Amino acid sequence: MRERFSFKKGYRGRTIFLICDVLFLVLLMVVMLIPFLKVLVDSLDPHTYGLRLFPKEVDLTAYKYILSKKSIYQPLWVSVYTTIIATVMGLLLTSLAGYVVLQKEMPGHKLIVSSIMLTMMFSGGMIPTYLTIKNLGLMDHIMTCILPVCLSAYNIILMKSFFEGIPSTLYEAAELDGATPMGIFWRIVLPLSKPALASVGLFIAVSMWNNYMNFILYITDTSKKNFQVKVRELILSDGLSGTNIGISEDMLKNAMVVLVVLPFLVIYPFLQKYFVKGVTIGAVKG
Amino acid sequence: MALGKKKSPSSGGEKIIRTNADKPLGVRLYKYRWLYLMYLPVFLVLLVFDYIPMVGIIIGFCDFTPFSRKLKWVGLENFRTLFKSSIFWRAVKNTLIISSVNIILSLTTCVALALLIDEIRVKWFRKTVQSVIYIPHFISWVVVASIFTMLLSPQNGLVNAILGMFGVEPIYFLANSKWWRIMLWIIDRWKGIGWGTIVYMAALTNVDQGMLEAATIDGASRFQRVLHVTIPCISPTILVVFIMDLAKILNIFDPVWVLQNSAVLETSDVIATYVYRFGITNAQYGISTAAGLFKSVISVVLVVIANKMSKKIRGEGILA
Repeated sequence: MRERFSFKKGYRGRTIFLICDVLFLVLLMVVMLIPFLKVLVDSLDPHTYGLRLFPKEVDLTAYKYILSKKSIYQPLWVSVYTTIIATVMGLLLTSLAGYVVLQKEMPGHKLIVSSIMLTMMFSGGMIPTYLTIKNLGLMDHIMTCILPVCLSAYNIILMKSFFEGIPSTLYEAAELDGATPMGIFWRIVLPLSKPALASVGLFIAVSMWNNYMNFILYITDTSKKNFQVKVRELILSDGLSGTNIGISEDMLKNAMVVLVVLPFLVIYPFLQKYFVKGVTIGAVKG
Repeated sequence: MALGKKKSPSSGGEKIIRTNADKPLGVRLYKYRWLYLMYLPVFLVLLVFDYIPMVGIIIGFCDFTPFSRKLKWVGLENFRTLFKSSIFWRAVKNTLIISSVNIILSLTTCVALALLIDEIRVKWFRKTVQSVIYIPHFISWVVVASIFTMLLSPQNGLVNAILGMFGVEPIYFLANSKWWRIMLWIIDRWKGIGWGTIVYMAALTNVDQGMLEAATIDGASRFQRVLHVTIPCISPTILVVFIMDLAKILNIFDPVWVLQNSAVLETSDVIATYVYRFGITNAQYGISTAAGLFKSVISVVLVVIANKMSKKIRGEGILA
């Protein structure tokens, strides 16, 4: 196909199209980033007006104030450890499920597959789930917030499609050597599935870090609420306690948003490829 | 369960091939004993968070409050109350409007954007665009709502400041019933447009180059090639995404919940927020479970219909 950057006849239409395309994509990137930029600027500059996109002066008092408050560390810690536990447990459970689903000759295979697919199609709904948790005495238990995030039918399918790519001769050889299924799973399947584990692990980590509803529904103890709940509380409250130190409320809110988004933005460039890989492994074959 | 009595076809009766399926059930169960053990933790989690709640939908047919000792069967009474309630129908209507526009916008914008990015051959530029537009997908709805509440605020908000330059009076976008849905759609696009393109970008790499060349030789313009070759090639992917979206159409909750306020309930109350208000806040378990069940059943029906249609159109469904 002809692809030359020139305004000569025959290339002109294509060139104009490409210029417009690039301009559009640049504009799109700007639109995507402006909300972040605006939040950052408003958290730094005490004299912001609606239109300002670059800070005139940099003032870190809002950050100093937030970081000096003890009440944000507990939720932050909850977010950190739930994310770690969810990632580890989620990877274990998801890969176990994916490996079991792979065994086509196992009695009850169809039942297991359809019972997993069922959870994707149909759910009891918010109230029955809430009442189940309540009646089982699992309210205020941190695992109640973690476990539902660990397992999703979508991730199980993703894992299973990756396992399918591992040559079955490897399993057979190990079986002949007398390895148990658990041994095959630990020594062959998992070590060969690092890319899929990375993708699924990141998906689980992000959804745990971002989880809000589970903590609203199942947790009443304030010491077990996570960072998202805290952010929401601070944003909604109009009178932030102790704003009489000369920092505007908006500045504090913006600084809070920056603090919750920052960890992700820092690691994102390094991990981006795993996120994308996850989607394309799992993409249902069309 | 078949007990493995079926003999595998033996050629001329000379040799009987013994496959796994020939062995008695007990032997096969024993052979896979470790795997059942491995599935146990998964099953327990699914049991508590999925299967028991599924049984719990009988609450929808009962009169049940936090004070009642046991379930009192009332049949379809809850559904009758529900279907008479104008607030419930308002929620159904809002859900359908908000979600269907969301799905249509997401399909069209993501396919269009994927096509536009695909035209770019300069690798670093392409990578940069993709990396940047994926970012909002990973920001939680709580934080997205916080950011946009500030951007759209009538005091000091960026959007109103820009409008102010043109002499427009400040608009309280998120507390105005007319504007609220439009804002939700825009914010949802900001968050989802980039991530939604990934599947299509993957599909675009599989478009048959030979067909594109043949079309070129036949004198098709670039636009015609996109319309008649590229889009038909990625249409199976579009269909799959559409059916997946359809399954979630009635479930919309998080974005609405975090952006909603009491001033805009009229246009923003969806089934899921209705269930939350009646179930969790007011503890009317029977009615809210019934509303949730209504939602789940309609979702399943929609998916089954879409899957049937997909079977008719291209000979295979996407669900097993």
